[in-house]
Amino acid sequence: MNRNELLLAGLLAAVIAGGAVLLPPVAEAQAESGVPVEYVDTTAGLNSPTGSGWAEIQTATIPLSSAGAAVPAANDVTVEEMQVQAVRTNRQIRVRTSWTDPTQDGSEPSVREFDDNVAVQLPAGGEEQPPIAMGSSNNPVNIWYWSGSGSSEELLAGGPGSTTPFEESTLRTEHTYADGRWHVVFTRPLDPRGDSRTAIPRDAADLDIAFAVWNGSNMEVSGQKAASQWHRLAVSSGPPAYQRFLWVIAGVMIVLTTLLTLEGIRRTGGE
Amino acid sequence: MSSHSSSTEAVDLAEGVNHQVAMVMDLNKCIGCQTCTIACKTNWTDSGGREYMYWNNVETKPGAGYPKDWEELGGGWDDDGEERTPGELPDQDDYGAPWDFNHEQIMYEGSDEPLRPMDDAADWAPNYDEDEGAGEYPNSYYFYLPRICNHCTHPSCVEACPRSALYKREEDGIVLVDQDRCRGYRYCVEGCPYKKVYYNAMKKKSEKCIFCYPRIEGEGPEGEVRGPACAEDCPPQLRMVGYLDDENGPIHKLVNEYEVAVRLHPEFRTEPNVYYIPPFAPPKHTDAGESTDEERIPRDYLEELFGPKVHNALDTINQERERVRRGGESELMELLNSDRSEKYRLEVFDES
Repeated sequence: MNRNELLLAGLLAAVIAGGAVLLPPVAEAQAESGVPVEYVDTTAGLNSPTGSGWAEIQTATIPLSSAGAAVPAANDVTVEEMQVQAVRTNRQIRVRTSWTDPTQDGSEPSVREFDDNVAVQLPAGGEEQPPIAMGSSNNPVNIWYWSGSGSSEELLAGGPGSTTPFEESTLRTEHTYADGRWHVVFTRPLDPRGDSRTAIPRDAADLDIAFAVWNGSNMEVSGQKAASQWHRLAVSSGPPAYQRFLWVIAGVMIVLTTLLTLEGIRRTGGE
Repeated sequence: MSSHSSSTEAVDLAEGVNHQVAMVMDLNKCIGCQTCTIACKTNWTDSGGREYMYWNNVETKPGAGYPKDWEELGGGWDDDGEERTPGELPDQDDYGAPWDFNHEQIMYEGSDEPLRPMDDAADWAPNYDEDEGAGEYPNSYYFYLPRICNHCTHPSCVEACPRSALYKREEDGIVLVDQDRCRGYRYCVEGCPYKKVYYNAMKKKSEKCIFCYPRIEGEGPEGEVRGPACAEDCPPQLRMVGYLDDENGPIHKLVNEYEVAVRLHPEFRTEPNVYYIPPFAPPKHTDAGESTDEERIPRDYLEELFGPKVHNALDTINQERERVRRGGESELMELLNSDRSEKYRLEVFDES
């Protein structure tokens, strides 16, 4: 192999390796609507709701409208959309929700003051998609519920009016309010112990997920909420960095094998 | 509605309720001393986010009451008793809040001002309009109205809760809030037309009068069956406590036989189980101080409060009074003057 051929081989290998690194995420993003759950090695930069790492994570915009529940003023809701991002490590899932609300409601304790709230809903584990309004008795849902007063609850529900907190919550939340916008990050182990808790698989998989937001200033509470339909929570498979490394090795090997074969043919043909 | 035994055919009880506790308050005996209020408060609402609550309160009528203008806030049922009427949540200030005083100025800033509430601090409080009443001298009038949860037969608070956190106890119809079920939505607060369910912002739960059920179950002082603290501690002993369906008790007689104990705002259609003997007052005076035949408390005002049945109740009491004045006997007058043992009949159904 002369110097030019070596250079060509190197260039080919670099293009393939680069393509392997750059292309797969783009292809995944095009294939998957809903809420992608990106795999991350570390939560560095993602620990606070305004951490710099969130800028690198894809954002899904979720439309919201009245849940139409059988409570007074059910249709009087104000929040029309929210943004959702999600990542997972090998141990936990982290969902960041954010939405615009000009008033921060959560610390005024009185009869007519209501908290801003946000909730994430997942099937508790059934095969079929549960009814969107809090599931049903034979197809319950998990709800991760954060209140503007700073508290959070991990809940189980089997239909409207049945919401019940788990005795011990495995949920953690962080929140900030700035420039008329709430950012709330939910963190939960992928597969916490205990029955009736949604397990987030470690392999690539789709789950159902839904969201709801309450605006305290508008006295939104209970079924008077801006809620989403079911969306697809697209969980990424194992560590993409590991996959990409394998693709790079494979690419380089293919290029080298091709070049060596060509060289062999050239030498054979030349004799 | 259904009746549950041959002996209680005349009494409507809520579905699924075996007996119904009830209270009759004789408004002619209330002196507005607030001992009932304090008895309740020291038992149940002295701390923990309940500071503003008076499960038992005594307000002056005519007057804005507690919370302020509660009668204007909606709730209850429509005329057919089928659909709930929308209600509003009271403003926190309308329950009354502690006033800010000028302590800072006097104690630390050398002010010579007398101790007094800060500007605008003292514009409302429970009983702010106490004893004001209505009418012109010499014919002004007022009376006191003690109020607790009515433990209604058709409670709109129970119906309002999307979580079924409020319920009527099967054994005695006491309306309770299951604190484990309650998530602080406050539909019950706005749904009760008497505004007798309160929101505890510290606990994020709704709370209310429990008819002192531990006392009537014998868990009270000295392990004895006792009436609710508001009733037992009342100096003029104006409250009778028992079961509406206890045909031999004074409550059944006053409510169902003589029909002299009437409901407050029956038009809300929640069917309260607290009943009132309506108030009498001396007749109107002329400017010269002569008594006239005209009633001091206008009948139409009493009808506004107690519904049209108040006329019959007042007339019956008048007739029975006249009978006694003429030297006759009256079981009704005896009942209204009954001794303490007759006032609390709480163990009549213990065997059943």
